[in-house]
Amino acid sequence: MEHSPVTTNPLIIMMINMTVVFIVLVSLMFLIKLIHMVDPTKEPEKPAQSDEEEPLVAVKSEPLPAPEPTPVVEQGVSPEIIAAISAAISAYGFAGQVKAVRIINHEGTPWRASAKFNNLQRK
Amino acid sequence: MEALNAFSVSLQAVWNDSGFSAFTMGNGIMILVGLVLLYMAFVKEFEPLLLGPIAFGCILANFPNTGFFGEEMNVMKAINYGITYEIFPPLIFLGIGAMTDFSPLLARPSTLLLGAAAQIGVFVALGGAMVVGFNVHEAAAIGIIGGADGPTSIYLSTKLAPHLLGAIAVAAYSYMSLVPMIQPPIMKLMTTQAEREIVMKELRQVTKFERVVFPIVATIFISLLLPPIAALLGCLMLGNLFRESGVTDRLSDTAQNALINIVTIFLGTGTGMTMNAESFLRTDTLLIIGLGLVAFMGGTAGGLIFGKIMCKLTGGEINPLIGSAGVSAVPMAARVSQLVGMKSKPGNYLLMHAMGPNVAGVIGTAVAAGTMLAMLK
Repeated sequence: MEHSPVTTNPLIIMMINMTVVFIVLVSLMFLIKLIHMVDPTKEPEKPAQSDEEEPLVAVKSEPLPAPEPTPVVEQGVSPEIIAAISAAISAYGFAGQVKAVRIINHEGTPWRASAKFNNLQRK
Repeated sequence: MEALNAFSVSLQAVWNDSGFSAFTMGNGIMILVGLVLLYMAFVKEFEPLLLGPIAFGCILANFPNTGFFGEEMNVMKAINYGITYEIFPPLIFLGIGAMTDFSPLLARPSTLLLGAAAQIGVFVALGGAMVVGFNVHEAAAIGIIGGADGPTSIYLSTKLAPHLLGAIAVAAYSYMSLVPMIQPPIMKLMTTQAEREIVMKELRQVTKFERVVFPIVATIFISLLLPPIAALLGCLMLGNLFRESGVTDRLSDTAQNALINIVTIFLGTGTGMTMNAESFLRTDTLLIIGLGLVAFMGGTAGGLIFGKIMCKLTGGEINPLIGSAGVSAVPMAARVSQLVGMKSKPGNYLLMHAMGPNVAGVIGTAVAAGTMLAMLK
């Protein structure tokens, strides 16, 4: 049922509406915090430990790592290219050792090249 | 002779029934407006998904003698019912809900305040509209353009000022598509270089429990408080529940793809169909477009001011640029925050942080609409 508006004063309408919007969204904020509090699946927060309280742990001497295997490199690939590839991989944040370097056959359709590129992007 | 007579009478009847016989200058202007909007949608790519159907609907609405809104039922009349009876906006919200990730908001709930602050534009435009002579119902419908939320604008204007629907919808969607042009100058004007360079802390992980419980709790709370927007908010949260539950992938997929696409076509075309010459070619339309811009700029400024306040209160943890994303327009407003942030400091990724106020803005605009409906309807 329609009724006449309570007020037509724009300032009062603005004040009332902004107050309601803030109250509703602040209430939602508290509801979100409540949901987080009662969440049974959340991981328990780790208590912050000061350096003084840190228990002393005996330091075990770790065995030396095995020498990294040299990459299998196809004929025709210079050591400079291997170094550049390794540097690029490392720059992307991968710390692993390069296992093998092969020359990709560029023959084929653009679709094949596109598929390879797509595959690389997914990786 | 008789055959010639019959031929002449038939030709006369065809001419009388044709659109040419009743075509007015107004129809011609509106068809041109439709063509300009089509150009903007398909060539300039300004919200093409919505502006395209709106523009074509505008052209269709200005053919005389089509009988689209006559006594007999037809597809255009059925589409118009979807708008008149407020069916399409909640269905669009269902799809938006299925596409929305509330995690940034749940991880940092304080960003809800930015979504609330950005609603100031709605009420600034409301005041402005009343000053220039619109009545309170029309002013409320015009003001909601500042929320930058198309479905809510259509929903509210259908209820409060149906005769202004065409102008309001066009203004709302035009400004939504112009977010990357309207917001950055205001953002740069209202923030300092140091504020724009603030790098925000990474957000915490949000559990599935939180993501599933939030839409249910929010629906119960808001629908009980503001029943006039229960359909809008309910559909938004239902769509989100489909997405987050993890067991309704088919429903989520339908809501965020097939359903929203179908409804977008109908909503756009139906909105365009309201743009006939008689209701659109008025000085009011220009005023609405001007006030819409004021509303939009006011909303952006409101979000930024509150962002600055939060920045001060948190000791510089919040980048005020995310405040401008409080004007719904998901996710474009958040992307603008990200772009302006990146320009100030390359490598400063604000997108995730801006998504919080952005989705809060959707809720905020719906709440503002609900409050106005409760007060004025």
